[in-house]
Amino acid sequence: MLSERKKQLNATILTVIMLGIGLQIAFSRSVSLNVIVVLICLLYLLYCRTSFKKIFVMLLVAFPLALGSWWSFIMFGTGDTWHSAWIYGTRVYAYLLLGSILTMTVSVKELLISLSIHAKLSETFVYGLLASFNMLSRIRQQFKLIQYSAQMRGKNYRLWQPALYLRIIIVALHWSEDLAEAMSSQGFSEGFPRTRMFNDPLPKWQLGIAIIVLVLHFGAAFLLRPW
Amino acid sequence: MQTLKQKRGWSLRDVIFLAIIGIFFGVIYQVWSYAYYLIAATPLKPYANDLTLGVWIMAGPLAGVLLQKAGATIIGELLAATVEMLLFSSWGAANLISGFIQGLGNELGFACTGYRNWSKLGLLFSTIGATILTFIWDWFQSGYSEYHAGLLITLLIIRFISIGFFAGVLVYWIKKLVLKTGLNK
Repeated sequence: MLSERKKQLNATILTVIMLGIGLQIAFSRSVSLNVIVVLICLLYLLYCRTSFKKIFVMLLVAFPLALGSWWSFIMFGTGDTWHSAWIYGTRVYAYLLLGSILTMTVSVKELLISLSIHAKLSETFVYGLLASFNMLSRIRQQFKLIQYSAQMRGKNYRLWQPALYLRIIIVALHWSEDLAEAMSSQGFSEGFPRTRMFNDPLPKWQLGIAIIVLVLHFGAAFLLRPW
Repeated sequence: MQTLKQKRGWSLRDVIFLAIIGIFFGVIYQVWSYAYYLIAATPLKPYANDLTLGVWIMAGPLAGVLLQKAGATIIGELLAATVEMLLFSSWGAANLISGFIQGLGNELGFACTGYRNWSKLGLLFSTIGATILTFIWDWFQSGYSEYHAGLLITLLIIRFISIGFFAGVLVYWIKKLVLKTGLNK
């Protein structure tokens, strides 16, 4: 599964780029750079053959946020309000697309395993997270069940009522115990070396790309400072 | 000393426990985001941010109070943020970084008590820590430095109330309920 995607950037590299550029964007004040980040990310998504529909929905869903940011600076901003409005409006999309180059091109499993191999993320975390993610649909269902069972008793759990969270904690306690036991009984031992079933190559040139991208953005954002 | 009670390191069970809670929070965030979106599409977006911030932050202190160990708060918050990012959210990359900042703010609060107080005092410090740190972060990331002073003061107050209620009072109530049921071993 992992080896089929050799032509894409490694998940760890994408994470480094996402966090590195993301951190810089918070402090850079440039509309054109934000737009460039958005365009490059879009190109990468197209290169990875992400479906147009998915991209379109993603861009649409974030539009209210970008509009809200933009508009709030026109209304409440000080100084060059138009510049600020465009900076923070485009910044919403820059963050969105930076996230999407990771989440829309790499599966959760690939990402976690790649991070465990190259970034030394503890395997207890990797496999614990993976196991929990596999229960995603059950957790959604359980959330509904909790609400239905309250309604059976003529109650409605609101998001600000502690009882709702108590139910969640009880479920999480039971399930985490069961799951951890199940994993140990299947031979998962914490802190011991594992046989690797996955091959996740990280060629040196990809590391080079990450460094070049980060340095270029840094130089452009804090030395050149375009509009 | 409470350190005797604390287990060092993270067991698989702790990780799965926090991850499941994180995923539940992911579901809750989705419910919550409808309300957020309604306000966020207007110029009142900064109000929407600060009013709802407490909900986005509470996973961290809840994890801290339940597991009572150093690092639980920040890891709990990071897990919830990761889940949120992977479930798809319109903040994209900002999720992880903000999650880290939020968790760090709360964690610093508990650290101020030397990780000994996980009750009212610890939670008070933790909410203050989170309010200050997230505000500094938004100063840069969300461009709060460009807003009028009047708006900023209002936002800071709203933010503290939101964080104080969800990440402080509500977490305290939840903790009391959990203690009552005797579930925390």
